[in-house]
Amino acid sequence: MSTAANTAVNTTSPSAAGGSITPVVVRLKLSLLRGGLRRSGGRRAAYIASAVVALLFAVSQLLGMILLRGHAHIASVTVLGTAVLALGWAVMPLFFPSGDETLDPTRLVMLPLRPQPLVRALLAASLVGIGPLFTVLLLTGCVISVAHGAAAYAVAVLALLLALLVCVALARAVAAANTRLLTSRKGRDLAVLSGLVIAIGAQLVNFGMQRLGSSGLGRLDPVADVVRWVPPASAVGAVDSVSDGSYGVAVAQLALTAAALAALLTMWARTLTRLMTSPDASTLQPADTAARDRSRTGGLTRLLPSGRTGTVMERSLRYVWRDPKTKAAWVTSLAIGLIVPVFNALQGTGSLYFACFAAGMLGIQMYNQFGQDTSAFWMVALTISTPRDAYLELRGRALALLVVTLPYATLVTVVTTALLGDWPRLPEVLGLSFSLLGAMLATGAWTSARFPYSIPQEGHKNVAPGQAGLAWIAIAGGMVSAALLSSPVIALAIWANVSATGDTWSWLLLPAGAAYGAAITYAGLRLAAPRTAARLPEILTSVSKG
Amino acid sequence: MVSNSAVRVQGLWKRFGQQVAVAGIDLELPAGKFIGLVGPNGAGKTTTLSMVTGLLRPDQGTVEVVGHDVWRDPVAVKARIGVLPEGLRLFERLSGRELLSYSGRLRGLPGAEVDRRATQLLDVLDLSGAQHKLVVDYSTGMRKKIGLACALLHNPEVLFLDEPFEGVDPVSAQTIRGVLERYTASGATVVFSSHVMELVESLCDWVAVMAAGRIRAHGTLAEVRGQAPSLQRAFLELVGAQGREAGSDLDWLGGGTR
Repeated sequence: MSTAANTAVNTTSPSAAGGSITPVVVRLKLSLLRGGLRRSGGRRAAYIASAVVALLFAVSQLLGMILLRGHAHIASVTVLGTAVLALGWAVMPLFFPSGDETLDPTRLVMLPLRPQPLVRALLAASLVGIGPLFTVLLLTGCVISVAHGAAAYAVAVLALLLALLVCVALARAVAAANTRLLTSRKGRDLAVLSGLVIAIGAQLVNFGMQRLGSSGLGRLDPVADVVRWVPPASAVGAVDSVSDGSYGVAVAQLALTAAALAALLTMWARTLTRLMTSPDASTLQPADTAARDRSRTGGLTRLLPSGRTGTVMERSLRYVWRDPKTKAAWVTSLAIGLIVPVFNALQGTGSLYFACFAAGMLGIQMYNQFGQDTSAFWMVALTISTPRDAYLELRGRALALLVVTLPYATLVTVVTTALLGDWPRLPEVLGLSFSLLGAMLATGAWTSARFPYSIPQEGHKNVAPGQAGLAWIAIAGGMVSAALLSSPVIALAIWANVSATGDTWSWLLLPAGAAYGAAITYAGLRLAAPRTAARLPEILTSVSKG
Repeated sequence: MVSNSAVRVQGLWKRFGQQVAVAGIDLELPAGKFIGLVGPNGAGKTTTLSMVTGLLRPDQGTVEVVGHDVWRDPVAVKARIGVLPEGLRLFERLSGRELLSYSGRLRGLPGAEVDRRATQLLDVLDLSGAQHKLVVDYSTGMRKKIGLACALLHNPEVLFLDEPFEGVDPVSAQTIRGVLERYTASGATVVFSSHVMELVESLCDWVAVMAAGRIRAHGTLAEVRGQAPSLQRAFLELVGAQGREAGSDLDWLGGGTR
């Protein structure tokens, strides 16, 4: 890292001196890559593993495409594949803004560089890495599968180069246009939530693939007819056109791709110039936006109980909505808690007992309560003097969770029951849900006090380095204990199912499960409170590592 | 209980692994004074303040704040102290006003009283315009000010501030200063850490100098300064940083050839 940085600094004004800064920037990129990997062994291992996986995927894709040569719909598949690849390049910088440091032009703002050489240099540097290699392999597969004849192969080389450059330039142009957003707090929040977007997107793609699998690739053709004119897919389209002998069309498609590349580079150069010449306004104080949310605040406060309970509940509920990490965890829990029982029921493979997933998934949110506070836990620690204070604090958090979880778990259970048409079992499953929820709250409160760990605020990790074991003990141990704790109600449910007279009594499981859940929550909070009060400094130390 | 010392520390030790952060501190801080805890980076100021305020458990030693043991009588101590730590977050996804409201209610103050005090504090600290902005979007100076407001809200007897002026612009610094001076004039005690000697010299009437986990000197400003022309000089002598003339090797720096 230092050698490249020195080179960059010593080369006072490369454009004036007649030299090119391209090699300097490429070397800087390589040094940054090396430096990033040198920081820790785990990082190196993760990088190598992800590189291997990505390359294996790309190579298998390449081989698959070559095998598919001559398939009736292969042209549509390659064209659409290229378009999806380009889309990936376009959204990548929005989700992983810190992925490439050479990409952030504001870091180079103090160096005397002109936009044109800078754009060339950054473009060249962008071609270094796993991403571009992955793209080259995929694009190679695409062009080989549609190229027939020497002319087509010649065009394929040009098409490959153009498509790759368009992808990279697209990513850089998008990143530069959004640098201000991406370096702001809102951009970082967005990055934290991006995992969810990708997960949901994967579900949609999966759904689309299943539809395609059932109705055939022919459905792609009308879309592909349009996309083959959209750069960079138009470059792959050109190869196909040459194979068909339509040279005029191929020239038009290649020209379109080249024009798109030129346009992207111009746009990128303009944005870079603006970024590097105008001051950063992100720390300027915006005009007063007073009284914007005053009424909303008042409303929420009025509905909640007074005293510590209401104060804690209000803060917890606000964090569910406003804190990206908490929000991501909640949305995941809510989604899985709904998807598992309802989708299984829709596919006819479901059991009503899957409805307990909702309670179980949301109960997880009670775990590591103080870790969710991050080091701001000191504000809580300074107001806890007695086990009573700790009890009120934990109870407030449990109540905030119940405000969402109770209606949600009930709703999911009712919806699943309606889908399966198994109404007689509803009370029984609700009772099971409530007792499981109670057990999760109890074990969650206890492990929050006993095994707290830090949740890093940036990035996708949910455990601070070195605390993974702690988190594992807390969550896995807690969930096993929760299952054991709700075993009396589970036993009752089994009895109701196997016994001859069980059906007449199974409705009793609803009140019994609810009462048991409430009692065990109370017991869990009571046990956790003195531990919390006695371990405040230790908890603060454990949760301050992120 | 009757005591004219705000804080009494005896035999305080803290080790982190091999490293000794605080190596046996005995210190008595007088009540009603503006007290500065000064020392270079890594001297153990933050560790000491964390242990005194009950946020970090000492390996050894006792701490009493206004006559109450911090670890045996937390009820009495926590109600009487206000703290602004360094390097710890606030609940930053709340707006400034929400944070004050949360902090005050958590301490058991009545809601109406919290709102009244919050309005005044926001006003005095020049945060009224940003009161509905999330704290995560605040600048460093604004964060220090909202942290100070949280620490003052329950009208504590002793206020502990860790680097309250670090990274704060001159305007905000003056505001913070004004509030603190008004607060000590009423008989309350302020203990703050800093490595900016000019600031300590102009604000404090009592100083403790820390280096390498020990107290090197303590007493009134005049006592600690002694014969030295300024606190800065006295401090450099105390921590043994004298005689290291900076820059004799950098003969190429400035003028001549580039």
